[in-house]
Amino acid sequence: MQPDTVQPDTVQPDNVRPDTVQPDAGEPVVRVRGLTKEFDGTTALAGVDLDVARGELLVLLGLSGSGKSTLLRCLNGLHRPTAGEVTVAGTRVDRASGRELRRLRTEVGFVFQQFNLVGRLTCLENVLIGGLGRVRGPRYGVTTYSRAMREEALAHIERVGLADHAYQRADTLSGGQQQRVAIARTLMQRPQLVLADEPVASLDPENSGAVMDLLVRVCAEEGLTVVCTLHQVDLALGWAHRLVGLRSGEKVLDRPAAGLTRDDAMSIYRHVEPAEALA
Amino acid sequence: MSAPTTRERRDGHNTGAHNTGGHSTGGRLPPPPTPQQRALRWIAGGSVLLALVAASSIGLDLPTLIAGGEDVASLVERMLPPRVDDPARIAALTLDTVLMAFLGTVLATFLSVPLAFLAARTTTPHPAVATVARGLITFCRAVPDLVFAVLFVRALGLGVLPGVLALALHSVGMLGKLFADAIEDADPGPREAVRSVGVGPLRELLNGVVPQVVPAWVSAFVYRVDINLRTSVVLGFVGAGGIGFALQDALRGLVYPKALGIVAIILVVVAAMELLSMAVRRALLAPRNPRFERDRVVRFLSGGAALALTVFAFVRLGIDPLALVTSVPDLLAVAGRTFPPDLTSLGPVLWEALLQTLAIGLVATAIGVVLSLPLGLLAARNVAPHPVVHAAARTTVLVVRAVPELVLAVILVAAVGLGPVAGAIALGIGSIGFLGKLVADAVEEIPAGPAEAVRSVGGGWWKVLFAAVLPQSLPSVVGSTLYLLDVNIRTSTILGIVGAGGVGFLLFEAVRTLRFEVVGGIVLLVFVVVLLIERLSGWIRAQLT
Repeated sequence: MQPDTVQPDTVQPDNVRPDTVQPDAGEPVVRVRGLTKEFDGTTALAGVDLDVARGELLVLLGLSGSGKSTLLRCLNGLHRPTAGEVTVAGTRVDRASGRELRRLRTEVGFVFQQFNLVGRLTCLENVLIGGLGRVRGPRYGVTTYSRAMREEALAHIERVGLADHAYQRADTLSGGQQQRVAIARTLMQRPQLVLADEPVASLDPENSGAVMDLLVRVCAEEGLTVVCTLHQVDLALGWAHRLVGLRSGEKVLDRPAAGLTRDDAMSIYRHVEPAEALA
Repeated sequence: MSAPTTRERRDGHNTGAHNTGGHSTGGRLPPPPTPQQRALRWIAGGSVLLALVAASSIGLDLPTLIAGGEDVASLVERMLPPRVDDPARIAALTLDTVLMAFLGTVLATFLSVPLAFLAARTTTPHPAVATVARGLITFCRAVPDLVFAVLFVRALGLGVLPGVLALALHSVGMLGKLFADAIEDADPGPREAVRSVGVGPLRELLNGVVPQVVPAWVSAFVYRVDINLRTSVVLGFVGAGGIGFALQDALRGLVYPKALGIVAIILVVVAAMELLSMAVRRALLAPRNPRFERDRVVRFLSGGAALALTVFAFVRLGIDPLALVTSVPDLLAVAGRTFPPDLTSLGPVLWEALLQTLAIGLVATAIGVVLSLPLGLLAARNVAPHPVVHAAARTTVLVVRAVPELVLAVILVAAVGLGPVAGAIALGIGSIGFLGKLVADAVEEIPAGPAEAVRSVGGGWWKVLFAAVLPQSLPSVVGSTLYLLDVNIRTSTILGIVGAGGVGFLLFEAVRTLRFEVVGGIVLLVFVVVLLIERLSGWIRAQLT
């Protein structure tokens, strides 16, 4: 990758001061420096820097293949960085041991584009999986979890509006409902950071709005930090405190959402050089 | 009356001529076959020739067949009417047989689950581990269950324990493979989700993979119980317990009505198990049930029943669970004595026996195809000229399926005498149960369109059969035939145990005379032959699709 990061229409990352939003300005929850990730010779991320403050809602924008999902997975160690520093909630993810990573992951929720529920299990069983990191020993089936955990899981299911479906198999629900179950599973983790990878990309526009609304509302109520990838610019402008744009593994935009216009944000998608787009 | 007929005929003729004209670019002058097609034709022609040569090599010709038919008829006459002399003892032995099949499959499951996780590409800790695990699974499949049984009886003495262990070990060959395939087919998404909540690799597999594969595993388990029941009824032939012991007793004592009574009981039990297994697997594949509570009750009850049956099997068969562990050194000792495998001390006899085994498998498959094609077609709902024919053909297939090949072989040996002819005929008849069912299923699955098209241009039953049904079902029938050849050659290696020819006789003799290196050599040969046949039929099947 060429080191020409200077883009005329992007803001350089030195003014990362989310001053228009409420997040506290103390120690950032996420601190990324020079993050590089390569897969068999192809570079997915090329030297990305990023800070996310506690309580902030940050949206990552960019084309498919721009490195958004890779960045998210480097934050909870599902991918190990090739180079660079990643610190999440005080843990150095890039050099954490397996045990440290597992401990960190119990505090970091992950919402997937394809929901990733176990279709054959009920909603309740799927939500209980979110609490696995907190308990020791193998668990299989509702009855192997404590009563307190079951009650907590039911409360989360009620909170996402699916109380009537708690004992229904997950694969009998609609996409929007399945993503709600996945959000309940994340809440069951009692996380301090939520990573969401295209949480509404598989949903129709109406459900997209409803699910985004739910995700943002519960995270705000719990004071959770959120890093979310999206490809709907309008949704991003509506919900985010701050927008970060990625293109070909490099950061090309990093600005507070307030005052940002749709055209500003769309600039991430333009200026793609044909050679790059084809590569 | 005659005028319209002429016109119809002329019209038909014209249409035919017109059609030929329309397709003239390719109809009369087909493009030259590709090298692969040519190879397939050579293989097809060659295997017919080979089957004929094989038939004459084992002394099977038309007069022998006719005489054999008469012998069987006279034997059946002497068997009638069937009777059960000691109902209490026969019932107890039958129960033991069923429990042995069940317990063997349970043990196989416990062995297969870890092996499958090691063998599956997506869960193995290292590709080399996967290769070793796959190799173990293939080995278990390639060594016939009765060979394991013969060896284990030597190591542990007469009784049910060696029989159960033999069933278990051979079943790992199928269960391990099916379990691993299910794991590889599982969606990686839920696994990633479970990992992302911060649990270690074991719980990731337990909560992210296992719930997805359970239906496939249970289905494979039930199917295997069904298969093992067929084997467990013949384990008694080698002293490994069960009802086969009583059957052999009756035949040795020439008490034929008693033998037929036992065969009838075996038939009923195996057929009942087949129906049960079909019902269970259908229930598993049934549309998902949104009413969780009922689902859970059913799951809980069936799990409890399986556990209770396992405990009951241990108690009833008098197997000390600890013996499963303590017998391992004895088994390993016998296994160790098969090294180094000895291929030379038997001299040319060994190679002759091996060739005879191959010939039996080939001839049996040919007999199976000749018998199964018409029967399978009649058993297909969409081809059978009348529902009664369909029902009769299906029942015939089911009944033949319920009689294990080795039981057929024992009866044929009693009828036509010792030797490969009895084995080939027994396996050939037994093939009906396998191939007849597959042909019928394949034909029922073909799309109805082409048959309707032939009917709409005035084609009758025969025309529909040759223009629409056969061409569409041919690839699947050829595939099934190759699989049958595979199975028949594997079975023909053990026919010798009941005196029906092939290498099994030498194997049995070697065990009896404690020449374990020879046993090792024969097992190695069987393993190599089975692998080669598997590869060859795999290649041919790949060319067909």
